Order: sequence, then C-alpha cells, then structure tokens
Amino acid sequence: MFLFEVILNALVLGGMYALVALGLNLQYGVARMMNLSYGEFFMAGAFGAFWTVMLWKLDPLLAMIASVPVSFVANWLIYRFLLLRLIRRAPDQDALDADVILVTFGLLFVFQGLAIVNWGGEYRGYSYLAVPVKILGAEVALNRLLAFLAACVLAAVLFVILGLTRTGAALRAMAIDPVAARLVGIDVLKLSALAFAAGGALAAISGTLVSTFISFSASIGVVYTLKALIVIIMGGVGRMMGCLAAGLLLGLAESLGGYLTDPGLTLAINFALFLIVLLVRPTGLFSRG
Amino acid sequence: MTMDRRTFLKAGGAAIGVAALPGRARGQAAPSAIRIGYAISLSGPFAPGAQSTSWSQYKLWAKDVNDAGGILLKKYERKVPVELIEYDDRSQPDEVIKLVERLILQDKVDFILPPWGTHMNLAVAPIINKHEYPVIFFTATALRIRELAKRWPYAFFPLAQPDDSAAPLGTMLATLKSQGKIKGRVAAVHVAEQTGVELHSSFVEACKKNGIEVVYSKSYPVGVSDLSPVIREAMQTQPDGFFAFSYPTDTFMLAEQSSVLGFNPAIYYSAVGTPFPAFKAKLGDKVNGVLLWGGLDHKAAGLAEYRQRHRAMYNRDTESGAVGMYATVQVLQQSIERVGEIDRKKIRNEIATGTFPTIFGTLKFKDQLLIDPWTVGQWQNGEVVGVYPAQKPNAQALLFPAEVVRG
Repeated sequence: MFLFEVILNALVLGGMYALVALGLNLQYGVARMMNLSYGEFFMAGAFGAFWTVMLWKLDPLLAMIASVPVSFVANWLIYRFLLLRLIRRAPDQDALDADVILVTFGLLFVFQGLAIVNWGGEYRGYSYLAVPVKILGAEVALNRLLAFLAACVLAAVLFVILGLTRTGAALRAMAIDPVAARLVGIDVLKLSALAFAAGGALAAISGTLVSTFISFSASIGVVYTLKALIVIIMGGVGRMMGCLAAGLLLGLAESLGGYLTDPGLTLAINFALFLIVLLVRPTGLFSRG
Repeated sequence: MTMDRRTFLKAGGAAIGVAALPGRARGQAAPSAIRIGYAISLSGPFAPGAQSTSWSQYKLWAKDVNDAGGILLKKYERKVPVELIEYDDRSQPDEVIKLVERLILQDKVDFILPPWGTHMNLAVAPIINKHEYPVIFFTATALRIRELAKRWPYAFFPLAQPDDSAAPLGTMLATLKSQGKIKGRVAAVHVAEQTGVELHSSFVEACKKNGIEVVYSKSYPVGVSDLSPVIREAMQTQPDGFFAFSYPTDTFMLAEQSSVLGFNPAIYYSAVGTPFPAFKAKLGDKVNGVLLWGGLDHKAAGLAEYRQRHRAMYNRDTESGAVGMYATVQVLQQSIERVGEIDRKKIRNEIATGTFPTIFGTLKFKDQLLIDPWTVGQWQNGEVVGVYPAQKPNAQALLFPAEVVRG
C-alpha cells in the first residue's frame, strides 16, 4: 500500500516535470530555437494566477484566459522581430544557435528585472485545491493531480497534432531539416513562428498550474528552464511522448529513490539517471536514433 | 573664469547660508548626506529572501529617516538626510565581495548595510572588518559565529545561533513530557544546506540531552519539488512533534502537503519562511499553533506604526525577520545620533556598549552578540508572537496542542 502511494506520488510529480518541459520542447525541438527566457513566461503565468487570486479573488485558472494569449503573442513577436533577424544573418546552424542563446539569455534578465521591479522579488503563494483525492485508497493533492492530467492531455494533443495532421507533418519535416522542408514548399518561417509562440503559451499554462502548489518568486524562471531542458534532452528533442516519459521517469526515480535510500539523495539520483540516459542513448529515450 | 547669473546667485545664497549658521559649526561644513551603501541579492536564488527581509527594510528605513529630516549630527547641530547606494550581487558570493570593496574604496560610503544570508554575510565580514566599518549582520547564523565575532570586532550578530535556537525546543519537549502531555517521540527533517544542517544537529543534540527520542531524522535537497514522501514516512512513526529546519519554498510546501495528507501532530515547527505573509496565504487559519524559528515582541513600542508604514509602502504585511532587520538599522541610526558625527570607531563602540529601544524590543549586545535573542515564536490568533526565551517582555505562553488550536 505504501509503495503504491509512493508510485502514484511519483507519477504525479513526473507529470509536473513533463508539463514544464512541453512548451520548451516545441520551441527547441520543433522551432529549433533554444529559448533561455522560456522560464520567464512560466513565471509570468504563475504571477497572472497569483494576482487573479489576490486582487480579484477569482479562480487562478481563469488567469489563463489572458496569460496564455499574451504569452503566445509575446513569443510570436520575439520570434518575428528578434530571432528572425538572427536567422536571416546567420551563416550556419551553429552560429545561429549561439546567437539565439545569447539573445534569449539577455531577454531572461530583461523579463526577470521587469518582474522584480513591478511585482517585487519576494515569495508568492496561494492556496488552491489543496485537498486530498483518494485514488484506489492512496491520497494525492488535487492541485498536483490537475497538473499531471494537464501534462498527459497536452502531450497527447501535441502528439496527435504532430503525428497525424498535415501541419504536424510539416512541423516535423521542418524540425528534421529546415532547408529541405523549404524546398518541398513548407513555409518554414511562418510555421516555426507558430511553434515558438505555442511553446510560449504552454509555458504560461504550466506556470499557472504549478503555481497552485509550489510557491514562486520573480527570479524562479531560470530554475524551470533548466528543469525543462533536462527533461527534453532525456526524452529526445522534439518528441512529445518522450517528454512525458522522461518526466515520469524522473518523478519515479526521485520518489522511489528517496523512499528506498534517503530523501536527501533525490537530486543526486535524478542527475545520475540523466547521466545514464545520456551515456546509453545520447540523443534521448524517444529519439529517432 | 566667467560667472553666469545662476552660479553667482547660488554662490551668494550659499555664502548667506553659511553666515547664518551658528558660530561653532562655521569651521566645518556638515556633509550634505550620510551615504550608506549595500550590495544585496536583487536577482538570483537569494532574491526573494533578500527582498522581503533586508532590502525592503533598508528602503523603508531611509524613507522614514528622510521624512523626519534626516539623522541629527550633534557636531554640526543639524539633520543630515541619508542617501542609499545599492548594488545587486546576483546571489553570488564572489560578486558581493567585489561590490562591498567597491563601496568602500571607490564610492567611499559612510556606512555599509549587510547582504542577505549567512554565507553572503560571512563572505563580506572580513573586508568590512578590515576597513573598520561597523555592521550588524542580522541574517547570519552559524555555530562558528561566536569564534568569528572575536576575530572581527566591527561585526555584530543579533540572531540566535543554531544551538541557542534549538536548546529551548529540547526543554519545551522535556517539560511537556514530564507533564504527561506527550510521549516524547519526535520527527525531524532538514534542508541539506548549512543552516538547516546546523539547526538540525543542534536540535538532535538538545533532544538527546532532554531524554526525547528522535524517531525520524532525514534531509532533503534545496529546491525539492515534492515533500509528500518525507511527510508520509514521518507520519508512519506517529510522532508527538514534527520539526522541519527548512527554507522558505520547502517550508510552504511542507505545510500544505501535511495539511493535504492529514498530518496533524500536536507540535509542528518549521524554520525560515514560517513568519512570511506567503506562509499565511498558503495556510489561512491553519497557521495558528505553528511554531517557528525566531519570534518577536509583538507589543514593542513603535511596531504598530511601523506596520502601517510598511503596508503603505509595499501593500503587504511585514514578517518578524524584517522587523528585526529594520530594528538593527535603527540601532545604527541611534548610535550615529549618540556619537553625533561620522566617526566609525566611536559608533562601533556605541553599538557594542549601548542599549537601544527599537521596534523589535530593547536590544543590547555583549561580545558583539545580542543578549537573549528570540529563539522560538508561534503563530497565535493570526499573528507571530515570541514564545522563548519565556522571560522576555511580552513573551506569550506556548499554545499546545497545535492540532486543537488549528481546529
């Protein structure tokens, strides 16, 4: 029974990791832009939810009505007016990667600074659905369960879109080889702007959901960018189900490892798992090999 | 050299101003401002703690002082406003050292206020001491601080050190056990970071000394995302008390997840972050009965007015650590006023020997450590009060058991 509770818990935790990573997977895996300011949109989503609760006493999830479109448009603008210039002038993919990392690294500080100046830097948190739900006799917090379900649904939706629709096929083609994709008539710039913006929207969604159970601050963004990056690299860049699987695997390793050894070792266990995956399958669990 | 009309008027005005001053001060001009510098974490992982406990208090204090016309310097018989010079250390110890050096050597500030967090404070204390700037390091606690204080005469440490913070918990548990109210079995967890480790080991020591059995003792890493496995394991040992030597994010998480899992021990204690407004936002009325590290005299003179000013400036409540921080800047201010001029050596001696009424109660140092600092506080009726040391003014009786209080 106790073991079942630990595993259930692990899955829910893993779901959160996957949720955080999905958006960056679209930006890095599909649009091929390593966006280091990704976590800032996560943070903005969390603040949107926080202010919705604090100022208007409304349900925090309602914040997504505003924060998701705003984040979508903001990311589209970043792509259209900042990254596109870099793409046009870059001699090759390596130079482009370096430029994108530098520019988004700068954006990270701009967004973080704006958030600190406008909203203050202290810890924020609120209580939402902090009630237990019984699943086959084991208890989980409803707010965490919600994030887990959202991760599963979003990963499945992205999987279907990428795998079964015409746009998805174009997106995949673009992710594999942007030059060849262009030759067969795919509007690469338009589609990757779309994928990049959608990734930003997902960042706002995950920020909103995670803020219901983890306290945050204006400087939290970079922490989640790094978490997301680990999940993506493990799961295979651009692979949505890989992202979900890697998240769940990390959750399992962390919870089971903590239970079987010592909770103090959870970080070490996570990074050991990451190392093993990189050694055995350097391109990620679900990569095309 | 040509002199236009505006410069001429300014110079003339200044001349008349000087002539009007009392004879004694005519020889030496008072400084136009008392320049106070600090490097603190405005970004990076320490930013949330630094902003709620330290930075916000520096800003509020400067505003309060300047609204009152400044700090009175007796030597010049006039009030001089304060001017803050701030740098962001980005939560990096090497950065904070460079910036403090810059404040001293390049900006030539009159005084320095401390950065936030034990190791940031300990990183800069040697240079600050070398240049003989008196600094009260409010956010530093470590077992070796008593030794370090001997080496750094200009450094003051007002916070209770880990062993002093844990000792009253041991005696509290022993008393409850002798009264037959608890069986004397406790669970203790800590964040795997220096302050957490030292508080935890001091607590285990205090339990051993008082015949209290620590039935569960584990650590978890900084930045943990899920603490329910830890809580479940602690629950299984059915302890009378749960003690978490924690940092803010995990403090909030432990409280919420304990509540979700229905873990309701008679004694619940957590450390850094427990008095924060975000803690109350998470728990609501369930905060009542929660024990915490620190505490304050909730009826200290001037505290109510300070709370109002804090609310007006930041639109949020203060917390007991911030009150203590503000109070230590008051100590510096009162010392400057008593000495009456910017003479850092005299001011250092005043801090070391004087008695200071503040919004955190009356403060007095011995060997640069605060005499009888608050060690244990508790949420009672929706506010944080001081519980131990019990002989301190306005210390409140322990609310026990917490589960009943929380309802």
